[in-house]
This record gives sequence, structure tokens and C-alpha cells, in this order.
Amino acid sequence: MSPEDFTATIGLCQFLPGPNVGNASIVLGKKWFGLKGSIVAFLGFFGLPFLWVLALASLYGEFALQPGVKPVVTGVAAAGAGLFIGTAIKLGKPIARKPWALAVLMACFVAVGIGRVSMLIVIPVAAVISYLLAKRGLL
Amino acid sequence: MNILLELGLYFSVLSLLSVGGMPSVIPEMHRYVVESRGWISHDDFIEMFALGQAAPGPNVLISSLIGWKIAGVPGALVTLAAMCGPAAVLSFWVAGIWDRLQGTQWRAVAQRAMAPMVVGLIMSGGFVLATPGGSPDWRLWIIAAGSAWAMVATKLNPLWMLAGGAALGAFLFR
Repeated sequence: MSPEDFTATIGLCQFLPGPNVGNASIVLGKKWFGLKGSIVAFLGFFGLPFLWVLALASLYGEFALQPGVKPVVTGVAAAGAGLFIGTAIKLGKPIARKPWALAVLMACFVAVGIGRVSMLIVIPVAAVISYLLAKRGLL
Repeated sequence: MNILLELGLYFSVLSLLSVGGMPSVIPEMHRYVVESRGWISHDDFIEMFALGQAAPGPNVLISSLIGWKIAGVPGALVTLAAMCGPAAVLSFWVAGIWDRLQGTQWRAVAQRAMAPMVVGLIMSGGFVLATPGGSPDWRLWIIAAGSAWAMVATKLNPLWMLAGGAALGAFLFR
């Protein structure tokens, strides 16, 4: 597989809905071995981590009520939330100078993050508006 | 409705809405399982999120941890399958078409249209996770801001940010 193919595949998987790595395993598996390849790649990718994370969660359950555990977990989750914000800032940099892009971004944030409107409504509406804006070269 | 069936149906819809990957649907997942259905508490959700972040493996496993908390091992299997399944079927189909769309205007427009939505949704996820019940707690915000800064300004492995969060959490939430 050439680096260009790889980049194109990753681009596709980031574009499609769904977990990126899950999609990548499907697309790459299909490329080389068809449907069987997709299924095997998918199971290979998720099988062990799935068992591992459940084992970890069960183990955690044993310790969850010990004093001192909850503050640590709260801190880890807050740091994880920070990683989301960091990701958003990194992804947002290239579009930050476009006023319409900022408007769509803020509208999504206000609706979903603050207003807690269901994404089942927000995504379709935002997608149509965003697509129309992009088509006119505003994004 | 049977809880497994409802989990499966709901996460299948999320699968198709997860533009930009799993982080985009975290706020919706939280809204549904914590605020709307009340299956688990905000603290439960946060615990599973923290475990999923800290554990090795793809981040979509956070959804199976949440399924596990709601309905045990069957819940974990159902949510993972539902979160990946519909998107996987779509990828399988689209994989062939995508190459042919290379360089077409439609593809470029669709990609540009998605970017600001994805950023707004991921930002929402960070905000919802760090702001339980919509009421700000400066300790959570300080940890989140520190980790966001480290991610933007340095090339550190994100595990260091989680470790820093653990240390600060142990100190601030004693």
C-alpha cells in the first residue's frame, strides 16, 4: 500500500460517520480480502481491547468505593474533557478565520453543549445549512 | 421497551450521526443515557469515560463501557456492535465509490461543510463532561484547561495529560 493510498483511506474514514479505526479496518480489510477481510480485520481490531477494557472495568468496580479513588477518576475525566477541547482547538485553527464557519461551529456548540438539544435534530439541520454555505464557497 | 433493544436501536442511530468519529456523539450519549433516560448517573458516565480514555485501545470502547454500566456484558456487546455496525456497513459500500469521487467538487464541498460541525460537537463534548449539570466547578475547568493547553502547545503523549489530571484530581477533590 502506498502512502497516498493510506492518506486517502484515512481521509475517507474520518469523513464517514462511525469510529475511525473501525471504519479503517473495514475499508482496508475489503481492499485486500473482500467481505471476509473486513470481518476478520474488524474482530481483530476490537476483540482483545474489548475484553481488556471490560476486565479493567470489573477490576475498577472492586476498588471504586475505596476512599481516594473517586477524586483521581474525576481528575482523569476532566483531563479527558480537556483533550476534547484541545482537539477542537487544533481542528478549528484552519477554519477560525472564516466567519461563517465560526457561526456554524458556535451554533452547534450552543445547541448541543449548552442548550442540550438532541443531536438527532441538530446534525441534520446543521448539515443542510453547512452544505449550502460550503457550496457557495463560504466555508 | 427491552433495554437491550433500546440501547441497540439508539446506538445504531448514533453510529450514523457520528460525523468526525466517536467524540462527536459523546454529548448526545450523555444527554440520552444520563439526562433523558436516567439509566446511569453523571458520575457513572464520567467514570466509564475516564476508564475508556486511560485504557489502551480505540476510544469507541467508551460506548461499550457505558453499555456495560447500564446492562452488563450483554449491554457492552450490544452498544459496541450498534455503534460500529451501521457505520461499518456504510464504509464497506462507500469504499469503492470514494476513489471515484476523488477530485470531484461534491467531495470537497462535503468535507468543508463537515469541519465546523465536527469542531462544535467535540467542543460540546468537552464542555458537557467538565460541567456536570451545567454548573461550573472551577477545579474541573482548571484541569480541563491545563490538559487542553498541553495538547495544543506540546507534543506530549495524551497519557501524560490524564496522569496530570489524576494527580490534580487527587489533590483538588480530597
